[in-house]
Amino acid sequence: MGGGKPLACLEAIRSHYPISLHGVGLSLGSAEDLDAAHLERIRQTAERIEPALVSEHLSWSIIDGRYLADLLPLPMTEEALEIVCRHVDQMQACLRRRILVENPSTYLRWRHSTIPEWEFLAAVADRTGCGILCDVNNIYVTAANHDWDPSAYLAELAPAAIGEIHLAGHSTRALGEGHVLRIDDHGSRVIVEVWTLYTEALARFGPVPTLIEWDTDIPEPGVLLGEASRAETRLGEMRQGFRDADAA
Amino acid sequence: MPTLLELQRAVYRGLVAGEHGPCAAHVVADGIAGEGRLSVYRNTFIANLTTALRLVYPAIHRLVGAPFFESAARLFIEAQPPQSAWLDEYGGGFPEFLAGFAPAASLPYLPGVARLERAVNTSLHAADAAPLDLSRLASIDPADHDHIAFVPHPSVGFVTADYPADAIWRAVLSQVDAAIAAVDLAAGPAWLLVERCATGIEVMRLTEPEWRFAAELCTSRPLQEAIEAAPEIDAASVLAGHLAAGRFIRFELR
Repeated sequence: MGGGKPLACLEAIRSHYPISLHGVGLSLGSAEDLDAAHLERIRQTAERIEPALVSEHLSWSIIDGRYLADLLPLPMTEEALEIVCRHVDQMQACLRRRILVENPSTYLRWRHSTIPEWEFLAAVADRTGCGILCDVNNIYVTAANHDWDPSAYLAELAPAAIGEIHLAGHSTRALGEGHVLRIDDHGSRVIVEVWTLYTEALARFGPVPTLIEWDTDIPEPGVLLGEASRAETRLGEMRQGFRDADAA
Repeated sequence: MPTLLELQRAVYRGLVAGEHGPCAAHVVADGIAGEGRLSVYRNTFIANLTTALRLVYPAIHRLVGAPFFESAARLFIEAQPPQSAWLDEYGGGFPEFLAGFAPAASLPYLPGVARLERAVNTSLHAADAAPLDLSRLASIDPADHDHIAFVPHPSVGFVTADYPADAIWRAVLSQVDAAIAAVDLAAGPAWLLVERCATGIEVMRLTEPEWRFAAELCTSRPLQEAIEAAPEIDAASVLAGHLAAGRFIRFELR
């Protein structure tokens, strides 16, 4: 897992804050076996920093032992569902804990997909006992790209499964005549439509721990803290609402 | 209908070689052609790995400029995509790629600087380890001294270059024009030791025999063999320096 300054910084942060260990490289959706060495690095890291939450993505990035450095879209098929569930089982058995699986941003759909993405995600959670990391920006981006209703997507997710929420900015790219793709790039402020969807998500899921993802074109700390405080305000209102409901 | 394995192999050909055709046939077109949608993923694949290479090779990036670096990186990425998701270790073949890269032939010092940056990155991310407790050496029978084989700290690395790669590297990363202008490319070869200290990464210049001696010791050759490999140096005092600097973590008798 390496050492030196990166590990020292992580351990210093760990001594003050709980950590969410978020994987991007295990490739739960690969047709081939998981990379045992990579899984072992995750296990060692988790053992060392004892994260509060561990997560990975509903996507793939490794084929024939080559890592494609992106979160690639899976066909929503029974075959892919079985493979993802087998790999989630393996990851949870190795780490001896429940993990969260995050819904991806996608820019294409495969012709042979037969299962809606939200049903696929729910089935993974049902069959493996894993939780769901609900990336609200990814729902917005994916729904816009495929002409789905983002609120309907949210409404299909079981509140009990949701263990963490992600928010982020995204960009747009014109492709073809008058067509625009929304691209998840973690490089700008969360847009107002995503804040609105976040409010819907909190109303449905309760005050779930929320992370602002901003890892390209990183702004002044004040801008990032402003985004975090905006999320914290909504979470606070939600917690107050829950307390009021309990008191009534 | 393709199996998941067939589909993932088709995506690989699209992303790595830009041959989107076979894979695009499986994409719902929906206003934007499959090739256009797949190109978004190819762009991210190339961009993410170019960033990974730029983080390991910042001096090369500055020396050749962003457009040159990006086009060299793209060709390298297509030829040698990563073999694992641990990107800290990606790009080990880049110095050798640059050595054979015709457009860079007029910058013959580039591969040496790249090898140094690689060693610096490896040192930066190497595992932690406590240095050897020197009192343990005192208990060795003097008759066994020749057979001591040291295990180096994981952050210790060695680089040689035909040009003063360390001077070029420091000057370029300092971004001081006068420092860059002051580099003497004719200064001859460099024998370098790279290690991680409490204050950061150190790149030390050694003489050629000192480098040979240290490199022998750090490949865990028995002390006597390392001494024989560099008869012209005062091995006892050089070894004392390595021990004092904590460059070894263990020893065995061989």
